[in-house]
Amino acid sequence: MTPRFRRRTGLAAAAASPFAFAACARQPVEPPEHVSQAQIDDAMRTPTELNFWTWVPGIEKQVALFEEAYPDIKVKVTNAAQGAGHYAKIRTALRAGRGAPDVAQIEYEMVPAFTITDHLLDLRPYGAGELEDQFVEWVWAQVSGANGEVWAIPQDTGPMGMLYRADIFDAHGIEVPATWEAFADAARTLHEADPEVYLTNFPPSQGAFFSGALWQGGADPFAGSEGPVLKVDVVSEAAQRVADYWSTLAAEGVVSTDPDFSDQWYQAANRGKYATWLTAAWGPVFLQSTAASTSGKWRAAPLPQWESGDEVAGNWGGSTNGVFNITEHPIQAAVFAQFINTDPECTKAMATEQFLFPPTKALLEDPEFTGLELEFYGGQKVNEVFAQISATVSPDFQWPPFNDQVRADYGPTVGSTIAAGGDAAAALGDWQDRIAEYAEFQGFTVEEGS
Amino acid sequence: MSATPVKPRKARPKRSTILTIGMLAAAAYFLLPLFWLVVASTKTTGDLFSTFGLWFAGENNLFTNIGNTFTADDGAFGQWLGNSLLYAVASALGGTFLAALGGYGFAKYRFKGNRAMFMGVLGAMAVPSTALAIPTYLLFSQAGLTDTPWAIILPSMASHPFGLYFMRIYADSAVPDELIESGRIDGAGDFRIFFQVTGRLLTPAIATIMLFMLVQTWNNYFLPLIMLNDPALYPVTVGLANWQGQAASSGGASGDYIPLVVTGSLISIFPLIVAFLFLQRYWTTGLVSGSVKQ
Repeated sequence: MTPRFRRRTGLAAAAASPFAFAACARQPVEPPEHVSQAQIDDAMRTPTELNFWTWVPGIEKQVALFEEAYPDIKVKVTNAAQGAGHYAKIRTALRAGRGAPDVAQIEYEMVPAFTITDHLLDLRPYGAGELEDQFVEWVWAQVSGANGEVWAIPQDTGPMGMLYRADIFDAHGIEVPATWEAFADAARTLHEADPEVYLTNFPPSQGAFFSGALWQGGADPFAGSEGPVLKVDVVSEAAQRVADYWSTLAAEGVVSTDPDFSDQWYQAANRGKYATWLTAAWGPVFLQSTAASTSGKWRAAPLPQWESGDEVAGNWGGSTNGVFNITEHPIQAAVFAQFINTDPECTKAMATEQFLFPPTKALLEDPEFTGLELEFYGGQKVNEVFAQISATVSPDFQWPPFNDQVRADYGPTVGSTIAAGGDAAAALGDWQDRIAEYAEFQGFTVEEGS
Repeated sequence: MSATPVKPRKARPKRSTILTIGMLAAAAYFLLPLFWLVVASTKTTGDLFSTFGLWFAGENNLFTNIGNTFTADDGAFGQWLGNSLLYAVASALGGTFLAALGGYGFAKYRFKGNRAMFMGVLGAMAVPSTALAIPTYLLFSQAGLTDTPWAIILPSMASHPFGLYFMRIYADSAVPDELIESGRIDGAGDFRIFFQVTGRLLTPAIATIMLFMLVQTWNNYFLPLIMLNDPALYPVTVGLANWQGQAASSGGASGDYIPLVVTGSLISIFPLIVAFLFLQRYWTTGLVSGSVKQ
């Protein structure tokens, strides 16, 4: 260092000059009241290129069918990431006002995250309003806005059921439990008879499983949230019942608490450490390829019930196709999202070749779909089981506008406490506090249940 | 490095058992995941989930896995490797050159604002590059450069203020002012002095920075994720994450992607190992000794 500059300047931090970006960003489309068939026909004959961001393997098949039906429209499929990376990419491009796709894959739980920022196009004027009858009621509720908007077109779903090892059940004389009470008894019996085996595994960091469990348990923690008002009630009686149940079983040590989809978990599933996997309709095919060594031993059944004689299920997973309102081609994009998810040939291929569990009534009643016998499940018609479960999913379950944060807060509070067999009620309170704090920080008006 | 004279036995520093155990534990901690990766790369999907993770299964499937990795999706993996190589090498060369010029300038020239600008560099070091990815995207989107290789190379070249900082510190101590003066007396211009005389003294620092930038760009995931849409431009990180996503999704053939992700991860660390071995021989200090009398 040269003496000349000693102590000359104070600290002059590099001043970042703010850039004005808004100038040439694309303005959102104002959805028209109604788009006439003539306008649609006209648009569909105009040469157009659509950008579609999705992670669904083999979606090229549906895209090809669409391009066959509408030869003037070309669809460019981009598959860069799944989940968090996918949404980060979309958010960045939306913020920049350019480079965002016209149509994208969006999970049900993330739809509100894009409506709160006013980025999704209401698809009603483009003919989506008339599609309601084709979809199962609860699925349609998931994509419907408070004022009847249609924010996205459902593509696949994950109604929850129970996959169980018939051989383990038989060896220990366990009946398929119809209620959670019977399930808990079976868990105790089984673990006592064979300390190596657990009736099921509670995945401590799997917030999506817990959401599904809340859904089945009748909790609807964010019901009534709209716009800047966030209602949050994860401490309701229904939620407590679910959390207490799992915490008790974990404290007794009769269920295992391994993180799911981990190396350890896959190995345990192959080894026969878990006698059931409480999962969703996408689970059966997934398990088939990852626990191949247990082929023929599994069966599918509905989830145990809280009240004997009930038939209620929750949902875990599934996704939709939404259209962003910065699109230059709203009509073409909307027609595309509707076509690939309702055209009979498209949806059939999704269900029978890509193994996405369908949301449409037509397929759920289609014998060719429900009649499929899977070797891995001893020839059981697994699709039929889950099709029946789908009809029992409650339509009342609303997602918060920042589900990623809610999930992130779940693991350290509720998930880990349940796994440790701790005080579930306190953990739910902790979770609620974190959600409320984050929401307030984000500028929401929080209305807490107690 | 010069050999130190051998000291009498009794003066030898005592070995610390605790320290040795600690270092062994640390080595195991860092090497175990690598070992797992090697072992897992030899397994089929079925073996991956049904045999003990840290030891080999009966049959060696490594070469089948490598073959599948390179042929899946029409040889996408080879292309990703090539892209990663291009991005990493171009960013490392360009970035190191800029850092060397800048660091040397800060260390050896007296000009107005030297200190202030250097403080700016120090300040920039405190900002994680992930936080800058989105503003960078906005800038590149304005310039129409997103979804091109430039969107990765340009920010990677300039986004390591540590390189500049390190160069300045190193040049400050490794390049004697007398050397520059003698160059000037001999009538050489500033650039000639830098390229032919003083720049060479910076070789160890240049090798360090280059390696540093190489690794950083090679491993960068978030920037290419948001910048690129065209699969033909993906680097290996984004490509593998993409496969990983497909492996985890519920599709029927998804299980087949799992060994590809594992084997691909193993292959993707080899170029870095090669780079380390190649560049570490430049890590010799003391080049300057004897060039001037001090």
